[in-house]
Amino acid sequence: MTRPVFGRARPERTSGSPGSAVSHLDRDRALVEEARRDPARFDALYRRYLAQVYSYAFYELGDHHEAEDATERTFLAALANLGRFEERARPADGDGASTFRVWLFRIARNVVANQRRGRRRRPQAPIEAAASVADPFDVERGAAIRDEAAAAWRAVGRLPADRRRAVVLRFVEEMSTAEIAGVLGRSEGAVRVLIHRALRSVAGELRRTDRFRADGIRRDRGGDPGR
Amino acid sequence: MTAFERDGAEVEALLTDLYLESVLARIGTDHGPADARLDPLLRNASDRLRRDLVRVHPSFRFEERLAARLAELAAAMRMPAAAGGEGRVVPLRGAAGAPLDDAFDPFGEDDPETERRELARPLIIGGALTSAISLAGAVYVAWRRAHPGRAASPMVRAARAVRTARLATTGRFD
Repeated sequence: MTRPVFGRARPERTSGSPGSAVSHLDRDRALVEEARRDPARFDALYRRYLAQVYSYAFYELGDHHEAEDATERTFLAALANLGRFEERARPADGDGASTFRVWLFRIARNVVANQRRGRRRRPQAPIEAAASVADPFDVERGAAIRDEAAAAWRAVGRLPADRRRAVVLRFVEEMSTAEIAGVLGRSEGAVRVLIHRALRSVAGELRRTDRFRADGIRRDRGGDPGR
Repeated sequence: MTAFERDGAEVEALLTDLYLESVLARIGTDHGPADARLDPLLRNASDRLRRDLVRVHPSFRFEERLAARLAELAAAMRMPAAAGGEGRVVPLRGAAGAPLDDAFDPFGEDDPETERRELARPLIIGGALTSAISLAGAVYVAWRRAHPGRAASPMVRAARAVRTARLATTGRFD
């Protein structure tokens, strides 16, 4: 998968006109223009970003049905309001920049947050996601990997909302700091600090879990004296 | 937190960011100069998250169902211009066919999870209460005007008698 290079370099306004900051470099520009002319062409944008939006919703909501609902709302809102989208890619952002993706994820963020607010159920651990990285030919190792994946997800799930979102966008969606800043409406510096603090919390949580698991394995191998 | 500590945290956040850039771009095992300076705990957590937070894909059935819904919406969006029905409203419906929440703006700038949560319900209840009290007040004033009646209190009756007598004798009431 190619990594977007959006916002890795600082923008420079050399020409002096404010319009020069907005350029023609948005990766999705052609698709967006086609979709504006003919809404049926939105399908290409939909296919490109479906898995990303769905994945974000799934990590945020922890439930396939709710993630499907949020994904559906996001894309319907995006298509219905495509005329409101303003391209903001900068020359320094490079060829991989997509402000459409940032715009789409801003919608997804609001839809998901609205859904989280309205529901009563607690999010479940994404077992399927954890299972997908396990080795089907090595059951013991597979179980260990599943446990570790579930522990990582739990640690992320315990983070405050803004840190959790930043981590999911960084690790699952592989967004750059600039893109995350665009989605969350924060500065790049604030996003860096959010992720750094989130990693500190996750590291502490994972260390506790690992220690607990190691104690359990030692007890199993040596026999439980309490029995 | 002192300025020195804050600067230190920002530098560390920047180092973490550089490390993540290299990890997410999959640049081998040697992650460059940021690697050595970064806290091993953070490095380990980053590597774990990189490995364990995988992208989850929706089912093919869902993908096709939503594609069909989008095509339906796209057709409805194209229709007004073609048929001259510019005023037609295209209803957006949720997964179960239920209409989407009209009050919810997916383009809101605020963070709905933190800001709207506290405001929405008390605002509605407060508004309803205020309206009810205003209506009751207006009805009461109208009723009193229509039915002046006799006051029950002897003091009020005495005051009215004095006022009437003064008005009758002097024509003015000071």
